[in-house]
Amino acid sequence: MPEILSRHRSLAVLAATLAAQVLLLAYQVKREHDVRLLRYWAVEIVTPGERAGTWTFSKIGALWDDYIALHSARTENEHLRAEVGELRLRNRELESQAAEAQRLSVLLNFRDAHTEAPMLAAQVIGASADPASHTLFINRGERDRVRRNQPVITPDGIVGKIVEVFPATSQVLLINDKDSGVGALLADTRTHGVVKGTGAPDPALDYVVNDEKVHEGEVILTSGEDRIFPKGLLVGTVADEKPGNPFQTIHVRAAAHLDRLEDVLVLLTHQELIPKETLNNRAAGSTGNGEPVRQEPTGVVQGLLEAPANGPPASSKAGAQQPAPQSRTAGAPKPAASAPSSTSPRSSAP
Amino acid sequence: MSYALNTGMQSDSNIEVHRYYGGAVLLVSFLALVIQAFLHRFGRWSGLVDLPLLVTIYFGVSRRNPVSGLFLGAGIGIVQDALSHDNPIGLYGIAKTLVGYLASSVGARIDTEHPISRFFLVFLFFHFHQGVLAVTERVLLNQSLPFFSPLLLMNSLASAALAVPLFALLDRLRRTS
Repeated sequence: MPEILSRHRSLAVLAATLAAQVLLLAYQVKREHDVRLLRYWAVEIVTPGERAGTWTFSKIGALWDDYIALHSARTENEHLRAEVGELRLRNRELESQAAEAQRLSVLLNFRDAHTEAPMLAAQVIGASADPASHTLFINRGERDRVRRNQPVITPDGIVGKIVEVFPATSQVLLINDKDSGVGALLADTRTHGVVKGTGAPDPALDYVVNDEKVHEGEVILTSGEDRIFPKGLLVGTVADEKPGNPFQTIHVRAAAHLDRLEDVLVLLTHQELIPKETLNNRAAGSTGNGEPVRQEPTGVVQGLLEAPANGPPASSKAGAQQPAPQSRTAGAPKPAASAPSSTSPRSSAP
Repeated sequence: MSYALNTGMQSDSNIEVHRYYGGAVLLVSFLALVIQAFLHRFGRWSGLVDLPLLVTIYFGVSRRNPVSGLFLGAGIGIVQDALSHDNPIGLYGIAKTLVGYLASSVGARIDTEHPISRFFLVFLFFHFHQGVLAVTERVLLNQSLPFFSPLLLMNSLASAALAVPLFALLDRLRRTS
């Protein structure tokens, strides 16, 4: 190289001089947007290399990320799948616990509203193996002071009654079992009848004469005549009705979710359930004018009911047990079965 | 007037290399630039001749040293750029660098003492100078200076015609051995 330069010294000097002047010129000349030509050249020379380098590195990086580094993706994927499974399981547990807490909260509120009536919370632990039998087992028994014929309810409505008591468990006969019968009355007309199981998911209201006007959606309450369920508890509503012989055929939509019970309350008394507020109001009223206060048909349906204007008060005979269900309609035939005998045919035979 | 190669030193290729009195080259170059600037007062006629170009050619072909020729051309051209209104520094510098280098190279190979050869030499170098200017402006400045035009032809002829007596006048500055 030095030999070539010395041999062509004049050419080398010429080239250097020209290059210096070209650079000098490029430094002064400005292209568009006031960019100096020297900078423009520098960018034009350098950026293709940078672009090529960036492209190369991005391709190499993509090759590494998409192929070579994926050897651990399978293991990571398996770990993530396992983690997702665990999280789903945990989520289900939490959802279940939340639902249980919700149910227990409702039960607790119900108990707090009826502190005068002793009741026992119980969990449903099983059901009957016979598809035609609507019974279930709860985790409370004789040790918990559970006895036969004690009513079982939920905050939504009545469920059934205790038919068998074991040391730690009890068997409950649901109101839709064909052997069940509950003394009931229509809330609007005060017409009495018996809610009987038919073996179908929903029970029926029997012993209501054809002359009685029954409309769909009418509320049905316990009448207390069966000496098992306190008066005024919600049984359900009228699903549909049609004339029959000699009584109407009335299907009842049970208020309690009989097919998905998990937590229930066992009433340890037969007295009528009256919320604390009503008791307080009644106490205040009786001391004021000395007359007994009209007792509202309360219970699990407080606020739902309105007594008819010309009818007798729904619970004017507070605490009184009707000896047998009877229709208030004049000339109506008396129900064939009395409540105690009809509602618990199995009560004496487990 | 004898135009024989008889007044200078012999180069390696047996071509006479002329020497000048100290400061003569710089003084003549300076005067050429000053007079060229002064000619601008005469308007359009000032473009007829390019005295710095003529000086570059003369000293290039006379001294026959490419390195000194290109440096002289570069210096004259850069000063000419500096004296111009809006020329970027280096535009005339590049053109006159190449002219100085080529003139020195040509002067070492052919007879440049005869008036006719000087006339054609200046004519050709004028258009070469114009070509380099045009290329430089097109490439670097993105401007379209013409390579050739009748006006340029007339200017080149005028410069070549002026070069003959001017070169003869400058020959008097040569140092005799």
